[in-house]
Formats: sequence, C-alpha cells, structure tokens
Amino acid sequence: MKSDLADGQTLKEMFASGTAWLEKSAPDINAINVFPVPDGDTGTNMVLTMKFALEETKSNSDNQVSSVAKSLAHGALMGARGNSGVILSQFCRGLAKGLEGKTHFDGGDFARALARASQTAYKGIVNPVEGTILTVLKDASKAAQETVKNDGALVSVLEAAVKSAEESVARTPRLLPVLREAGVVDAGGQGLYVLLDGALQFLKGESHKMQYRRPRLVVAETELVPRAAQRPAQLETPHGYCTNFVLEGQNLNLDKIGKDLKKKGQSLIVTGDDTLVRVHIHSFEPGEILKYATKLGRLHDITINNMDDQYVEFIKMQRERMPQVDIAMVTVATGDGFFELLNSLGNIIIVPGGQTMNPSVRELLQAVESAPSDNVILLPNNKNIMSAASQVQSLTSKKVKVIPTRNIPQGIAALLAFGYDMNLEKNARAMEKAISKLQAIEVTRAVRETRLKGLKIRKGQFIAILNDEDVIARADKIADVILEALGKAGAEKAGIVTVYYGAEIKGTEAQEIAQEIRDRYQAGVEVVYGGQPHYDYVISLE
Amino acid sequence: MVKVVTDSCSDINPQLAQELGITVVPLYVQFGNETYRDNVDLSTEEFYHKLETTKIHPTTSTATPADFAKIFTKLAEETKEILTITLSEKFSATYTAALQGKAMVGKDCRIEVIDSQAGACAQMLLVISAAKMAQAGANLEQIDDWVRRAIPRVHVRVGFDTLEYLRRGGRIGKAQALLGSLLKVNPIVGIKDGATFPIARPRNRAQAMDFLVNFVKGFSRIEAVAIEDATTPNDLQSLAERLKDVIPPERIYRSKVSPVIGTHVGPHVLAVAVLEAE
Repeated sequence: MKSDLADGQTLKEMFASGTAWLEKSAPDINAINVFPVPDGDTGTNMVLTMKFALEETKSNSDNQVSSVAKSLAHGALMGARGNSGVILSQFCRGLAKGLEGKTHFDGGDFARALARASQTAYKGIVNPVEGTILTVLKDASKAAQETVKNDGALVSVLEAAVKSAEESVARTPRLLPVLREAGVVDAGGQGLYVLLDGALQFLKGESHKMQYRRPRLVVAETELVPRAAQRPAQLETPHGYCTNFVLEGQNLNLDKIGKDLKKKGQSLIVTGDDTLVRVHIHSFEPGEILKYATKLGRLHDITINNMDDQYVEFIKMQRERMPQVDIAMVTVATGDGFFELLNSLGNIIIVPGGQTMNPSVRELLQAVESAPSDNVILLPNNKNIMSAASQVQSLTSKKVKVIPTRNIPQGIAALLAFGYDMNLEKNARAMEKAISKLQAIEVTRAVRETRLKGLKIRKGQFIAILNDEDVIARADKIADVILEALGKAGAEKAGIVTVYYGAEIKGTEAQEIAQEIRDRYQAGVEVVYGGQPHYDYVISLE
Repeated sequence: MVKVVTDSCSDINPQLAQELGITVVPLYVQFGNETYRDNVDLSTEEFYHKLETTKIHPTTSTATPADFAKIFTKLAEETKEILTITLSEKFSATYTAALQGKAMVGKDCRIEVIDSQAGACAQMLLVISAAKMAQAGANLEQIDDWVRRAIPRVHVRVGFDTLEYLRRGGRIGKAQALLGSLLKVNPIVGIKDGATFPIARPRNRAQAMDFLVNFVKGFSRIEAVAIEDATTPNDLQSLAERLKDVIPPERIYRSKVSPVIGTHVGPHVLAVAVLEAE
C-alpha cells in the first residue's frame, strides 16, 4: 500500500481524539491500585497533561507537522502532572524531535518518531522501571518499526503500535512484582495504550463510535495472585468499598469463587473450605459481589465500608491524637522506618506516597484540612509532588507554606529546622535554608544496561544518584558505590552523614558501611532504618 | 541597705555572691540516704563525679520554710529590707517555702519574695542586677519594681545532649515535644511563663553552639548575658569567645550549673540567658 502523507492538522486531531478517549478511561485508570497507595491519579494526570498539550496547539496556526508536534511537546511539558504526566511529556518531546523539519508525515516518519519518543522517555527517568508505561511505549515503537518494513501507511503503523501496546500492557504484571501482587496492569501503560487507540480510531474514521463506548481496561495476562496480607491502614489509600462477608454453603469451590470474583474487584482474599468461605474484596460495586455470592449460599457478617471514608477517618484519627498547635506539618513519605522516624519528630501528618506513587491533590488537601492548625507547612519530599502540593494552597482557607523538599532527607532536615518559637514565615525561611545545605545520595540497582553522562552502566549494577538528578557512581559492590558517591558529593566537608537503609537491607550491613564512612571521613555518621522500597540506601550529607 | 536573697538554683558563682552581698539558700541533693546541701556540701565537680560513679540516681528537694526563716531572721539583724528571688514555682516549691519562711519571722523587717519565672543563669541575671541596685542604694520598692518588670525581658536557651534527665525529674513540660527523636539531636529548650518550652532541634553540638550564639545575636539591645556549663568548660570558653563580638566581656557572667540543676539537666548542658535592655 502506498503511503499517504498526513499534515499537522491530522496529528492534532489524532491527539485530540486520543485524549478524549483517555478522558473516558481516566476513572478506571485512577482506580488501578498498584501500590497499597494508588500511584496518584495516573489517569487524571495524563488527561490533564494532554489537555495542556492540545491547548498549546490551538494557538498555533502553522499546519506543518513539525510545528504542531513542537507545540504539543511544549504544552505537555508545561502541564505535566505526576510521574505519568512527566513521562508523557517526554513522549511528546521525543515525538517532536522525531518529526523535526517535516511538513508532512507518513507511517515511516511516525514509527521513527515513536522510537525517538521511547528513547527520550527512558532518558528522562533516572531509574526506569520495566513493566510501566516505558515498556509499553518501547514495545509499541518496535512494532511500528517492524510494520514499516512491509507497509508504510500511517494507519497500518499506528494499528500495529496499538495492538502491541495492548499486549504489552497485559504483560506488565509479569515484569513488575508489585503489579502482579496487586493483580492489576500498569496504569500509565494502560493510559498510553488508550491514547494511541483513540488516535487510531480517528485515523480509521471511527471517532463517532467512541461516543457511546468506553475504553476497556486491559486484562492482565498472567494468573493473578491475591494479595497475601493487607498492609496496615496507614499504607493504604483505598478506593471504592471494602467488602467482607462469610459465605456458608455446600460443595463451595474456592478456586472458582476466586476466579469469578477476581474480575469484580481488587485486593481479593478468599479463604476457607467447601462449606464456609471468607471473602475480602475491594470493589466499586459491592452489590454485584453480594448478588453473586447469594447464588452460592447464605451470607453472614457482611460489612461494606466506603474506603474513602476510612481514609478520611484515618486522617481524622491522626488528627485526634494531636493537640492544636501553632503550626502543623504535613509531609509525604514511604517506608515504615521513615514513618516511624517522622512520627518521632512530633505531630506530623504523613501522607503515604513518594517516587512512584504521587499522592493526589485531594489527598494532600485532606491532610492539610485535618492538620491541627490553620497554619500548615507542607513538605512534598519529591519533585513530582511539588505541583500538586502548590495547588493545595489555593484550595484551602488555611495558610499553607510549601517547602520545596525533593527527597525525604530534605524533608527531615526541614522538620528538624522547625523552630517552636518562630512564626510560619520565619519557619519557612529556616527550612528552606536547611534544605539548601543538604545533599542526598540515593543508591539503587540499574534495571537495565545504559549509558548515562558517559558512564556505562550494566544491568544489576549499583548506581548512586546525587540530589535526584545525576548518576555519580556505579559499581558492582554496594559499599564501593556509596564510598565513591560520597567522595564526589564532597563528604570531606560534611558534618553529619545520615544513612537511611531500605527495606531490603540488613541493619548489620548498614552499620558496616557506616563504619567504612567513619574510617574515611571526619563526619558524624548516623544509621537509621528508612524501610524505603527500591532504594537500598538513601544517604544525606549536611 | 536592701539585702538580696536567692536560692542555690540561681547557680550564682559563690565568689560573686559574696562580692555582691547576696545570700544563697541551698536546696538539697540526695544520693540514696545521703543528703547534701546544694553547692555547700557538694560542689558541681564532686556532684558529677558521683553521678558517674554511683548507680543511684540523685533526687532533689526544696529548701525548707525554716531554712528561709533562719536566713531572714539573721539578716533582719542588719537590715530592714530583704528581697528574695526564687526559682520558678513551676519547677520547685522553693518559692512557697520562701513565702512561708517570711510568715515565720517578725514584721519589723520587710521581706519581698519574687518568683523569677525561670531558673539557673536566667534567675542569676535578675539576682545580680538586684544586688547591684542594692549596692547603689536603691530601696526595696525600687528594686522589687525593677525585678518584676525585668522578668519578661529575661530570655534563656538551654542546649541539651539528652532530655532524659529533664524527663526523669518530671520537669520536661512542653519540651517533651522534642523527646523520642529517632535521629540524634541536641535539643534546645527555653523557659516560657516559668516552664520549659521546646525551641529547636540542632543535629549536633556544633549546630547547637551556633544556635546559642545566634540567639544572643538576635537581640538588638542587651544589658547582660549569663552563660553556664556543667562539665564542659572548654565549650563554655569557646561560647564566651564567640559572644565577645556581641557584648562586652565584662557584661558576660559565667557560671556552672549547681548539683540540683545538674540533677535535672545532665552533664552536657550549655545555657545562655539574655537580659534585654529596657
């Protein structure tokens, strides 16, 4: 088939259609409970990011595809919200780079642009994780390039990309244990698939069909394993209704019940025997669950709780423990050690979340509203949460100061800088000063082979990231990477080095590393359990 | 001439007390069955040596009404006017004991008892100023009035290594907000309305020292400063050195915490009190 050329207007319409399609899917995407805490409002974040991108194209009358793509990229960058929004903006940027200098584009151009988009998206993430939107994008771009070899039509190329994206989304739980455990596919990947699918429907001239339909959630390819144990309430920001009951009957088939209910909700637990079965499930339609169960036998001990209420209750309970104070503090953290540490620093409301799970504006707002003071200091502890945090200011009548803390060590330094005899403004200044003096090193394993700033990194190697930005060291041994990173970060001038070790690390190992740091540097070294996921060590220098 | 009386928790240097004609009524420290008069039977050095070498944790008790009555009676032989400045009533019953002591003695000597709303070096600044006024010939009304008006102008910050002693002695008050940190901190505590109050959480002693220096620097008009340590004279010396640029050294009074105060603050405190000019 001969390739026909599309212009800037077509690209615009493709993304408009894709965004409209994505918007319909946003609530479903939001509801995918990846971590005990949902990863922010992935669906909403993506829609808002794309809307910003489209808005930018409206003011651009140039019909050249390179110009439209550039506007998209600029708009997406300005409007990027949350982690997924950031990746999406990288996607748009790569697309724009791929289409640079072109007045029109065909399937081949689009495939090349997708490849560029995939590369750019990977580059934009310090610690790319497979089984996410990144993987879906990579797979889609590969399929697009394969197709071009035989068929250069734009619609054919996009069709192949969409099909591959869908399959890739279904595979995400195989790649990412947290997804497997939660029994869901990756929300960001799902969003990208829907976006591309919407664009394809426009190209096929089937936009009208979208009006009465909704994008469907891709079903995970692997067998889903119900979560073994529920995390404590603090770690869970629930959605929908937590439904519990005991089913009494005869010849009950646990496997079948599990399989049937799996489609109806999340966090499913089915235990018992063939006469008595206990069921726990999170669902938006508890009625459906009960209707199903009553067909099998008699129900007992039915409890249905709105989990959003529970979350509000939890926040309220935190508040009730606290006396009214002059200035209250709200912070975002992940890791049981960090929770304890933050709690030990006073009456602080902790919103669970972090790098891969940005709390929504609503969750931050709830925490601020429930804080035991009208003056609130908000510490986002992550650059992806910064924009959500600053939005809270305009949504509450309380006086809120957002301190731009980019990681938990900065958050802790800010909390420690709090002066009980100072007002909100002075405290904000003291905190900003404190965080400016702090360097943070995060140590993790490279999930794939890569080259960063001329540094060749093998998969599985330990890498150290300074201030959430630059990979400054890599080594096969964790102690080596830490010592090298400390040297590069200027540890010889530091007064205090604090080593927060992660969930996977033994305390004795952390102590040994601390001793090596003491042997080499003058600084006082303190070791604290952070319990953070993904990062084996987070180390601060002050 | 007005005679100035205070309790041993003013931590006033005995030699300076003698020079200024200040009478110090000692509180008591008990190690098990042994009782010592604060700074009389037991010096600060001996106290901390004992604290380190015995397993018994000391307790403290107030000066009795009779102790005050005895002092008042003796002083009444040479003066008709006595001014007494005590430790905050929220920390100790010494203020009440002084009032009861006053009630026990005859009426021909006028005695005023003032709650300093503070203790240690903060109380010391009030006592020294009062004694100097007395030496300069001020009468009881004048000194009494000056001290009561000066109380809100006295500000104190105490740097701790640990709040354990304060907690154990039941004097931690609102400063308990600084307790329990899983990170090592050197908490700074102030005194507000006669009780302890949390101030800040520097991470180490160097930062705590900076905090104390900056605290003094924050005042635009200073009449006098008092500083004291427990077992760290070198730190006190360096604190004094750093304050020389802020206030002339002759207006910096140096002292050591008494055994009674030491029981409640531990061996590594560093305290600064500022008397703001009127």
